[in-house]
Amino acid sequence: MNPYNSDKLEAAIHGVLRRLPDRKAPAGLEGRVFAELARRAALPWWRKSFSHWPSTVRMGFVAGSVLAGLLMVLGLITLSGTQSAHQVSGSIANSLAWLTFARDLVSTTEGKARILLAATPSVWLYGAVGTVAVCYAALAAIGAATYRAVTFARQAS
Amino acid sequence: MRKYQDMVFTTSVRLVRNEAQAEDIAQEVFIKAHENFEMLSTSPSAGGWLKTVATNLSLNHLQRYRKRWKFFSEFGSDSAEEDAPAVEFAAPDTFFDSVDSDERRAWVEDALSKLPDHQRIPLVLYHFEELPYDEIAGRLGVSLAKVKTDILRARAALAKILARGDASFRILAT
Repeated sequence: MNPYNSDKLEAAIHGVLRRLPDRKAPAGLEGRVFAELARRAALPWWRKSFSHWPSTVRMGFVAGSVLAGLLMVLGLITLSGTQSAHQVSGSIANSLAWLTFARDLVSTTEGKARILLAATPSVWLYGAVGTVAVCYAALAAIGAATYRAVTFARQAS
Repeated sequence: MRKYQDMVFTTSVRLVRNEAQAEDIAQEVFIKAHENFEMLSTSPSAGGWLKTVATNLSLNHLQRYRKRWKFFSEFGSDSAEEDAPAVEFAAPDTFFDSVDSDERRAWVEDALSKLPDHQRIPLVLYHFEELPYDEIAGRLGVSLAKVKTDILRARAALAKILARGDASFRILAT
């Protein structure tokens, strides 16, 4: 399309679109808005967003949060220096012994996989990667085609 | 509210296309307006504020619910318009003069709604909301070149659809 036609088209489309009157809003819109406003106004303050809480409650909440945070930090510092803290950390370590076993299992499996990969011809590996990529692309294409078919069928009906 | 509800609903429905979703968005716009009532009640630009909020909420809605389907919904969708012929309007100033307002509205709105999202949305933002190309690109998160191409194709496609029903359009195959 040459620039002259493009400019003419822009001007023409702009003229047609700008002359469009507004669409009529649904008759129930006003009622819906007022009903929703009434519903929100009837909610108790603790079910509204933080900005709608009473200012005293907001200040109290912030002060309480800061205090709770400080108490938690102080408590952790105090507890970590006691004998019972060492007992607690020892019992936690015992209960998490399965993690050590899992780590050993993963590292053993990884070692075996490395040996297997080293022994496999590289052509086989490229072939496997290619097959997976083709299957993935085919799945995406089928998904896209199905989605479009369903969407357009819904829009057409 | 009565003064602006048609404008807010229209702004939203032209972007999201779905009337029920546009009504939900219009409701949210007026609830936000209620929250800012003190500022809006004395502002001469209340209409502009409502239009901007309606546009922003509509775009948020589109991005939230359609991003994940973008690939699927736009898959190959440009193919039909790749070779869009040049369109010439014989008499754009007098276009639709012989058609009454309701019929004209229905006709053009229907043509507009037939455009795919990636063409309709930038077209609406450009011609109705009067946003510049670069701002549309920024708002939609696409390149400036894509916005220009999509709007150009949208105009050509829209003219093609309108031309089917009106003799004042002449399609010049190039």
